[in-house]
Amino acid sequence: MASLVGSRVERKEDKRFLTGKGRYTADINLANQTYAIFIRSPHARAKIKKIDTSKALKSSGVVDILTGEHIAQDKIGGLIAGWAIRSEDNSEMKCPANPPLAKDNVNFVGDPIAVVFAESLDEAKTAAELVKIDYKVLKAVTNLADTMKSEAIHDGIDKNLCYDWLLGDRQKVKEAFDKADKIIKLDITNNRLIPNAMEPRACVVDYNTASEEITCYTTSQNPHLSRLIMSAFGGVAPENKLRVVAPDVGGGFGSKINLYNEEIVCSWAAKKIERPIKWIADRTESFLTDTHGRDHITHAELAVTNDGKFLGFKNETIANLGAYARVFGTVTPTY
Amino acid sequence: MRKISLEINGKKIKKEIPDHTTLSGLLRDILNLTGTHIGCDTSQCGACVVHVDGKSIKSCTALAADLDGSKITTIEGLVSNGKLHPMQEAFKKMHGLQCGFCTPGMVMSAIDLLKNKKNPSDQEIRDWLEGNICRCTGYQNIVAAVKEAASKM
Repeated sequence: MASLVGSRVERKEDKRFLTGKGRYTADINLANQTYAIFIRSPHARAKIKKIDTSKALKSSGVVDILTGEHIAQDKIGGLIAGWAIRSEDNSEMKCPANPPLAKDNVNFVGDPIAVVFAESLDEAKTAAELVKIDYKVLKAVTNLADTMKSEAIHDGIDKNLCYDWLLGDRQKVKEAFDKADKIIKLDITNNRLIPNAMEPRACVVDYNTASEEITCYTTSQNPHLSRLIMSAFGGVAPENKLRVVAPDVGGGFGSKINLYNEEIVCSWAAKKIERPIKWIADRTESFLTDTHGRDHITHAELAVTNDGKFLGFKNETIANLGAYARVFGTVTPTY
Repeated sequence: MRKISLEINGKKIKKEIPDHTTLSGLLRDILNLTGTHIGCDTSQCGACVVHVDGKSIKSCTALAADLDGSKITTIEGLVSNGKLHPMQEAFKKMHGLQCGFCTPGMVMSAIDLLKNKKNPSDQEIRDWLEGNICRCTGYQNIVAAVKEAASKM
């Protein structure tokens, strides 16, 4: 057999993809499915004063409208920060609760508040426009450099600081800098990015009323993790009653490693309304709610000798973890 | 509601559809031809490109009712007598795809290019495919695939 190195190896999946026979989540349809539309915060930070769904519930084709109140009553947990990082002083990181549907406060534009299920997508969209939400808009922190000087966004998290982590040896770095002929200083802004996979996030959820099994087809790079979090931390269903299926995935670039609130909500709601649910994000929702990357402000210093030897290096980085600390978000800046 | 007749991938169809049904909606949700993808729904990304009377268009912003009587070809209609279209073969051979989501639109758009220009340069291929976004490949192998197809068609 010829060596695989340097030879042209064709991929097994390409024929399906090239003939339109891939099976992505949005391609899946279940008999009797309802269509979900999420109602999201238009504010970066606000208190939810009142949600009025009465008019929307009477709208044509509406099956149900569920809010943060409903999901809290059922004690369904939201997204956890699953990767623990300890600060330099060995204290534990501080993470706010992130309910699947916001009940009291919203903390970013796109934070989900309620969800409409209807017989058709058009009917779900029409009803969503009839849901009235009164907000008290609060001051948001949108400039990373100001974060630690601003008022606390979440109760109990001083300076909006999740952790203050250290890698290295302060004493040895100091010694290296003391010996240096020259110190080179650099400020770097590593801009925020949106992974923007071609395929918007989506999920299709089935619930079998007899076996009590939930099947969630979803745009995931990591279905086992989704099942674990939804089961162990979300309380959606025991693991043996929850199946998470990742069919063909149209790109993720890391953004689909995480579980998202929409998957928790739709898996919980399919059981509640006893109907299959289909949800597909539109591109705007992808921009607003997919996990973003980077957004670091760094000051770096390099200690060198006159003949060009590097003696020491230090940098101080402020990393944006977003409105909440989610799933793997806490680990990224430490890599 | 409106009655329309179309020929899709060589088959005649007659349907009664809501006036606001887009061509992509008709293909995906009514005819179950899910090879045509929706990446943005606002004609930016090109994942939904199909041919209408031989010309490539973005099906997410075309009203199906406007196309009454047209002949439509989607990615599902390219295989002939069990053989892949030379463009499909070329994408497979040159690794012009990874996740496959943009691929149907990319292939349909590239076929239309070769109808207009038999042996396009790299720049002409890149210019033509400006309305088709791919996030996996970096476009290099897509350009290589279109050149490979041009040499075979």
